[in-house]
Amino acid sequence: MNCSNPIDAAILADYWLALLAPPEEEDIEEHLLGCGQCSARLGQIIALAQAVRTLARQGSLRMVVSDTFLQRATEDGLRVREYAPPPGGSVQCTVTEADNFLIGRLAADLSGVKRVDISLCDEHGIEQLRLPDIPVHAGTKDVLYQESLAYAKTMPTTTMIARMLALDEIGGERLLGEYTFNHTRTLPGPGAW
Amino acid sequence: MNVELNDAELARRIACGEDREAEAELFRRMVPRIRFYGLRHLRDEQAAQDLAQQVLITTLEALRAGRLREPEKIASFVLGTCRMTVLNLRRGKQRKDRLLEQFAACMPVSVESSNAHLDQEILARCMQSLKERERSVIVLSFYDEQTGTDVAHFLGVSEANVRVIRHRAIHQLRNCMGVA
Repeated sequence: MNCSNPIDAAILADYWLALLAPPEEEDIEEHLLGCGQCSARLGQIIALAQAVRTLARQGSLRMVVSDTFLQRATEDGLRVREYAPPPGGSVQCTVTEADNFLIGRLAADLSGVKRVDISLCDEHGIEQLRLPDIPVHAGTKDVLYQESLAYAKTMPTTTMIARMLALDEIGGERLLGEYTFNHTRTLPGPGAW
Repeated sequence: MNVELNDAELARRIACGEDREAEAELFRRMVPRIRFYGLRHLRDEQAAQDLAQQVLITTLEALRAGRLREPEKIASFVLGTCRMTVLNLRRGKQRKDRLLEQFAACMPVSVESSNAHLDQEILARCMQSLKERERSVIVLSFYDEQTGTDVAHFLGVSEANVRVIRHRAIHQLRNCMGVA
């Protein structure tokens, strides 16, 4: 039987996250208990939420995270390896089998900036990847960049330069900080290196 | 066939007399719906399954005894029973063993899980294809279950904006995963 008034998947996600007002939640619950189709869609949202949770716990996403996120991960018994090179400085770093998260804490003065990009460069300073318009707010003193653990564990010994850039309305770039990570490969790690 | 009947028609059949097929069909339909309600409110798989069984036992009991006068309102009845049962579970009032013993004969041996398992590699690619803010909102919401206020503070935007970003990201993820 087809539902004549299907609930949008995003609203179901709000319901799952307990973000709806009580009257709306009540209407949705009554609908869900009478509708197999929308209930099945809620099942997909729950599966998505659980899969995102698993993925996040694996530390395999390359992204900017918050201190609260890392605190939660630590409380969950996960191991966070963090490096905090000063702006313009470098740090020796690695990752081990026991680590769950690899974090670069990038300090910079972000006051007044509208948009911030992270540019990831090779040892010659040539950009390999960019994270555009990362989440920051006016009071941020540092940005927590999470490197993909799956990638880092298979990386050879190498140097990576991260640049934090402020962008203005017309696309002009200003360097906020440059951070060099001298990575030593994971041992034993993949062979043939 | 019972599979073609709507929930109210099944409820009517059960109320009219012993219709084991109708009971089994209602059971099959309602278990996942109640289980999801349980997962939402109890955040525990085992507790959600227990809730589904207890609520369905109470519902069958009411239908057989003719206490549900308006079968078309079966969803309301089940919702009310879910709420009461969750309250009771939280208060630690367990009727489970006695009811299970009383109704064990009419209950299916196992209930299939309706949670789809998503391919983690595809999900990782889809997550990586989101914009930075979208990815952050999804991870902070689903991993940490942070409130809209917390996420808004981290992103430096309003809660309404976070909602828009979250909705857009969910639609994009579902499209990318091929489940939209």
